[in-house]
Amino acid sequence: MTATTTTRAATGALQIPVRPRSWPVRLAWAAVAVAIVAAFWDLGIEWSKLASLPSDLAHYTRLMFSDPDWSKLPEALYQTWRSVAMAWTGALLGVVLSTLLGIPAAQGVGPLWVRLPLRWVFAVIRAVPEVVIAIIILTVTGLTPFTGALALAIGGIGTHAKWTYETIESVPQGTSEAVRASGGNVLEVARWGLWPAASPELMSLGLYRFEINVRTSAILGLIGVGGIGDMLTGYTQYREWDTVGVLIIVVIVVTMSIDAVSGRIRRRIMEGAKARDLDRSA
Amino acid sequence: MRQHTTQPEAEGATPSASVPWPIALDQVTVRYPNGVVALKDVSLRVEPGEMISVVGLSGSGKSTMIRTINGLVPATSGTVTVGPHTVTGLSGRQLRQLRGHVGMIFQHFNLADRASVYQNVLVGRFSHTPTWRTLLGSARPADRDIAMRALDSVGMLEKVWQRGGALSGGQKQRVAIARALSQEPAVMLADEPVASLDPPTAHSVMADLQRINQERGLTVLVNLHLMDLARQYTTRMIGLREGRLVYDGPAADATDADFEEIYGRPIQVKDRLDR
Repeated sequence: MTATTTTRAATGALQIPVRPRSWPVRLAWAAVAVAIVAAFWDLGIEWSKLASLPSDLAHYTRLMFSDPDWSKLPEALYQTWRSVAMAWTGALLGVVLSTLLGIPAAQGVGPLWVRLPLRWVFAVIRAVPEVVIAIIILTVTGLTPFTGALALAIGGIGTHAKWTYETIESVPQGTSEAVRASGGNVLEVARWGLWPAASPELMSLGLYRFEINVRTSAILGLIGVGGIGDMLTGYTQYREWDTVGVLIIVVIVVTMSIDAVSGRIRRRIMEGAKARDLDRSA
Repeated sequence: MRQHTTQPEAEGATPSASVPWPIALDQVTVRYPNGVVALKDVSLRVEPGEMISVVGLSGSGKSTMIRTINGLVPATSGTVTVGPHTVTGLSGRQLRQLRGHVGMIFQHFNLADRASVYQNVLVGRFSHTPTWRTLLGSARPADRDIAMRALDSVGMLEKVWQRGGALSGGQKQRVAIARALSQEPAVMLADEPVASLDPPTAHSVMADLQRINQERGLTVLVNLHLMDLARQYTTRMIGLREGRLVYDGPAADATDADFEEIYGRPIQVKDRLDR
């Protein structure tokens, strides 16, 4: 960079600038190396088993998919329906709560003494996995799909409320200023200064939350709140691989279909938000 | 932004806003939280029904000054008075009540692009409407009537059901004027209302403001940076330079030398709309 360290070819001997060595960077690399070694240290990995992995995988794949027990399909579909219902109820509840809590948490809407505690609550919720939330809730509501839906709703607040206030904060300030200038209060600024600009994105994020919940609801089945995850755990424990195969097929097909449909709707929402005229005069 | 000064209750006695109000700034200084002093010791009195322009380069304090009048920017020291209200120290409901009587339009129009023109104009009725109604977007027949009349007066009634975002710049500014008019204001503030518009549209929007001033007798205060618009459409001109008031006199008499004094540099081609 500086003039003194440039090479001079005139004398024949090159004056090569001293290669910069940064101790912080070296230390960081060393730390990364230690972390990687430490990560594997205590896991009790039996490397020899890695060798038999391909054959094991083939073995179980054959067990599961060579002759699936299709007689369990109606039950599987019914349980999947319960999982999807759980995901949908959880998304609806979670998005409504996140919107109500997320908007006051946005800079320029709520005062600092409202924003900080709210954001702190969101951060705490983000730190707790849905499964743990469900375990806490089931002491009250029992082992029902409703427990699952509540866990998804509450767990969803952590990230969804954060997305909500970040979306609200990215809305241009002009319209809000105009609403304030004509005497609007905080609620009116939120409703007519921020909501019209933010709503398409918030709706799109709400659908995305539903997609995530569909996946998470299968995991929630592990603790026995019902749905496809519950069924999957049961049949895996009894090693009925031909039924597990059916369940896996159902989960994959349903999840991919929901993702495809929901993704398509989300694209339509965002495209419609760009330019469309609601001309009711014609 | 929000100060919790206790203010003696002066409610219920707010007169109807059909009479134009005077505006007075008394030794007003504005210092932003980042330390920038945008307005330095400005004193000014605007008579009711006057059409007055505030001229200066960007960064001269015009936008700050106009925002002290409706309390969007609080004065750090000094006093701002609008009609019967002392803006300085107002907060909460009283401040919103004052803003209900002061219409304002902006350089970038500030409409809600994804709401209909109708809903945008109804924003002007907010300070006169219960909050639950405004949140649901359900207007009383009287408010609806006021909004429609305001739209009609700027020639935008036929666009009432279109989205704000579907309009051209000039149309947006007319809807913004209708929004301000539906407040039935006593004072109209305009912050660089034509700076984002092409010359013919700029002239017609300025003519709209002039007509509002003459027909409704409203006090109109317009921020401008173009000298010919100030001369042509306003009767009195204020010049701001680096936050200080450097000119105050009839707009038509302002010479090129006066403008050079306000701008702090020789006149350039871009200082005129019509070249």
